[in-house]
Amino acid sequence: MMKTLDLKGIGELILQIGEQRGAEETEAYVVSNRVLTVRLVNNAVFEAKGVHDIGAGLRVIKTRGLGFSSTADLSPKSLKNAVKAALDASKARKLPFKYTFPSPAKAPRVSGVYDDRLVKLPSDGAVELAYDMVKASMAFNRKIIDNSGVFNLINYHTIVMNSHGLAARDDGTFFEASLTATAKQGAKSSEGAESTAGRSLQELKPKEVGQNAAEMAISGLKAQRLEEGTYSILLDLGPVSIITQYVELLSSPPLAKKDYPLFLDKVGKRVGSQQLTVVDDPLMPRGVRSSPVDQEGTPSKKFAIVQKGVFRTFVYDSFYAAMEKRQSTGSGNRYYFVVGVSQFPGRNYNLEPIPRARNPYILPGDWKRDEIFGDMKDGLLAKRFHYSRLTNPTRGDFTSVLRMGLYRVKEGTVVGSVEKSRLVDNLIDIMKNVDAVSNKLVVAGSWGDYVHAPVIRTKAHVTPV
Amino acid sequence: MDEDIAFFAIDHARKLGAGYADARLEAHYNELVIVANGKVERAIINQKCGIGVRTLVKGAWGFQSSTNLSKDSVKNAVNTAFKVAKASSKHVPKPIKLAPTRAYHDSYATIVKTDLEDVAFEDKLREMLLWENRLHVSRAVVRGMVDYSGIKIDKLFVNSEGANIRFANTLTWAIMKADAKKGDLTQFYEQTMGHSGGFEIFEKEDIGKVAQEIGRKADALLKATPVREEKDAKVVLDPNYVALLSHEIIGHPSEADRVLGREAAWAGTTWWAGKIGEKIGSKYFTVYDDPTVPETFGYYLYDDEGVKAKRKVLAEKGLLKVHMHSRETAAVFNVEPNAGMRAITFEYIPLIRMSNTFFADGDWKYEEMVEETRHGYLVSTQRHPSIDDRRYNWTISAQEGYEIKNGELTTHLRDIALTSTAPKFFVSIDAASRKGKVDPVPGCGKGDPMQGLYVGNGGPYLRAVANILGMR
Repeated sequence: MMKTLDLKGIGELILQIGEQRGAEETEAYVVSNRVLTVRLVNNAVFEAKGVHDIGAGLRVIKTRGLGFSSTADLSPKSLKNAVKAALDASKARKLPFKYTFPSPAKAPRVSGVYDDRLVKLPSDGAVELAYDMVKASMAFNRKIIDNSGVFNLINYHTIVMNSHGLAARDDGTFFEASLTATAKQGAKSSEGAESTAGRSLQELKPKEVGQNAAEMAISGLKAQRLEEGTYSILLDLGPVSIITQYVELLSSPPLAKKDYPLFLDKVGKRVGSQQLTVVDDPLMPRGVRSSPVDQEGTPSKKFAIVQKGVFRTFVYDSFYAAMEKRQSTGSGNRYYFVVGVSQFPGRNYNLEPIPRARNPYILPGDWKRDEIFGDMKDGLLAKRFHYSRLTNPTRGDFTSVLRMGLYRVKEGTVVGSVEKSRLVDNLIDIMKNVDAVSNKLVVAGSWGDYVHAPVIRTKAHVTPV
Repeated sequence: MDEDIAFFAIDHARKLGAGYADARLEAHYNELVIVANGKVERAIINQKCGIGVRTLVKGAWGFQSSTNLSKDSVKNAVNTAFKVAKASSKHVPKPIKLAPTRAYHDSYATIVKTDLEDVAFEDKLREMLLWENRLHVSRAVVRGMVDYSGIKIDKLFVNSEGANIRFANTLTWAIMKADAKKGDLTQFYEQTMGHSGGFEIFEKEDIGKVAQEIGRKADALLKATPVREEKDAKVVLDPNYVALLSHEIIGHPSEADRVLGREAAWAGTTWWAGKIGEKIGSKYFTVYDDPTVPETFGYYLYDDEGVKAKRKVLAEKGLLKVHMHSRETAAVFNVEPNAGMRAITFEYIPLIRMSNTFFADGDWKYEEMVEETRHGYLVSTQRHPSIDDRRYNWTISAQEGYEIKNGELTTHLRDIALTSTAPKFFVSIDAASRKGKVDPVPGCGKGDPMQGLYVGNGGPYLRAVANILGMR
């Protein structure tokens, strides 16, 4: 089905209909997105579910009005209706500034983002790979009593075309594998988790995922209660991925205006320590979110969002760039949460682009991971954040549950596991207190959101729950 | 919608040998508008139709959706759903069983007085620009925003047991927000209005006045005093704050899949697993989940497994009574299924979800609750939650508050967050007011891939004890 779908032909038809209906400019974003999810619960495969979503999102400009509509029905009749809906919407949205769709430009190549072996992996093979995580966890230790997790397999094919002659393809594969293990000894139980993602089958190591989750769960069985206080804290990959994702939200103009205003009015101001640089690099080879163009066809480029602790710039797509009289940073992204509109990992056609960093990460520092440990007199190591929130998004009050994978570090050595606690601090203070960044990036994240991350050391207030 | 394709899907699943199959054939119309500082930033119309087919094969679930409704494509989707279920069955030690339910035939719709498509998109945007303008009550209000959504869903549910249910649902809502700034201090105030029904929600009252009030609140927060930390403070919580409590520390933990540990890798588990019949709260701890309340965000009469909906009493006078169930978890607990299964669109497999979860009304007047508080706080309008994985320890911030001194509201407060543990808090509730309300919650997240579903939450004013988190 996917091979026979002519994305370019559909795009051309949309542009043609747009022109016939009087649109001054038309843009077509045509998508074929496949997702297979294998969900593991209670040591079993609970459900295997698949989605094949094909459709087109289209924007038109007419007499300074901009309109958007989308449809999953790609018949000529339905496409005509979709163009009409977009033109109707354009009548209602007159722009007080000049706006035009991106011009064609040569897109760079990005390596390692498509693997035919992932595409050809049969569904029963995917089920077996997912279950390998459970088997590895159960084999690690007899005290492991429960496992749950997910294996997501995605492949997408997209083309964005517009009336200026722009035509840019973006094809990719992606997997996510995560497992949460529960260990029990007498009345005490504890959890451990591991999650990873990648672009090729070669990167998938289900056995490691299962073993690491089990190891964390077992270590938690001897956890000790923590005294409330402010600690030097080594944030491992998972927590660093959360901080990076917050920088991604805070640096998007529409999201900053709507829900995350912390960085408004902070361009040029310090939001982190000298050690902290956050870049957006969608050209990174094998980057979890890399692609040659953004989702309106602007070529990808690498740039700093936070440089040596100073917030340098918000990210821009062509629309917000025109609104704020700036240049697009190639950050047009159609992935954001809207109720009632289905959003899957991969690519989505049913939303307009908004500016959002596409493959952000904290730039590696010059510390080896072991050196950061060796330099810690007394502190904590946090491997997982859970339910992290900016409870006061204007001031930056930040909290996260340290649900599992929390350890005490003394004189450069992990001396034991710590019971479930809560971090309550301020995000900007956490970023300003970063005094060490490791020199290696590893993929980390959870629940569909992954980035590359180093290990960092900072200070934070932690309280037992 | 061509209903025959749904019946074809079920027939084909049967022919392949599925023990059970169901199909949801759906057509969606969505419109979304965001207006900020006098500019229309988003104006979107989406249309989508498709089918989701679920099969039970040798005791294992398989699911596949397709936006292509040709016979060949739907046949392929069913084949895949069957194939993945069969592959999964090798790793299902205990085959899934479904609790019995009647195969209902019905057709129903939400009450809509003004259809979304009967109001010109242009007119809607014009109104929203006016509302947004009204948010700017003073120069201090530096940003205003109106975020509007309207959704129409035409859904047919059929299954291999003969169920045939059609539901035409419409949901309409708007979030209005004002950001006020003075020097380095920024404060915001926001409010969501919405219902299951059409555009008439914005014709019932003067939305311009509502917008002005939101602007005034944001402005006033600039003059409010930052709250100080206090342990074991007496707090009077308004219905909108109670809505978030009922959602996070009662609604989610009541979901039977969480109770069984099936959400452990995602949102977590629940601390009250195995506690049905135990007393876990005061006499004011009575909580319902009721999808049958018309005009609420969580309204439906049958869930996405075709089970007839009714009010569920989750807790009554402190006693934990029942969980929210699917047919499958009902079979595990050996109880009747209670219509808890829903999916956001045909592209997702249904999950156990709350509908309208709310605290029962009490016998106090709100004024009495304040008057009889010597020292405490009124905590008003929800902001952000952070809850631990067992829904035991929680932190929820609020938009504003007032100190209560000798039974009177005194200092206006900002930057408030409360923290407590669920059992300590439930036991501490010593008063509940009359006349609670259910507020719309447009984005309850659960599942993988994530499903953002619309639910209702609320209750009356509650008085209880919690720790105040203030400026650190």
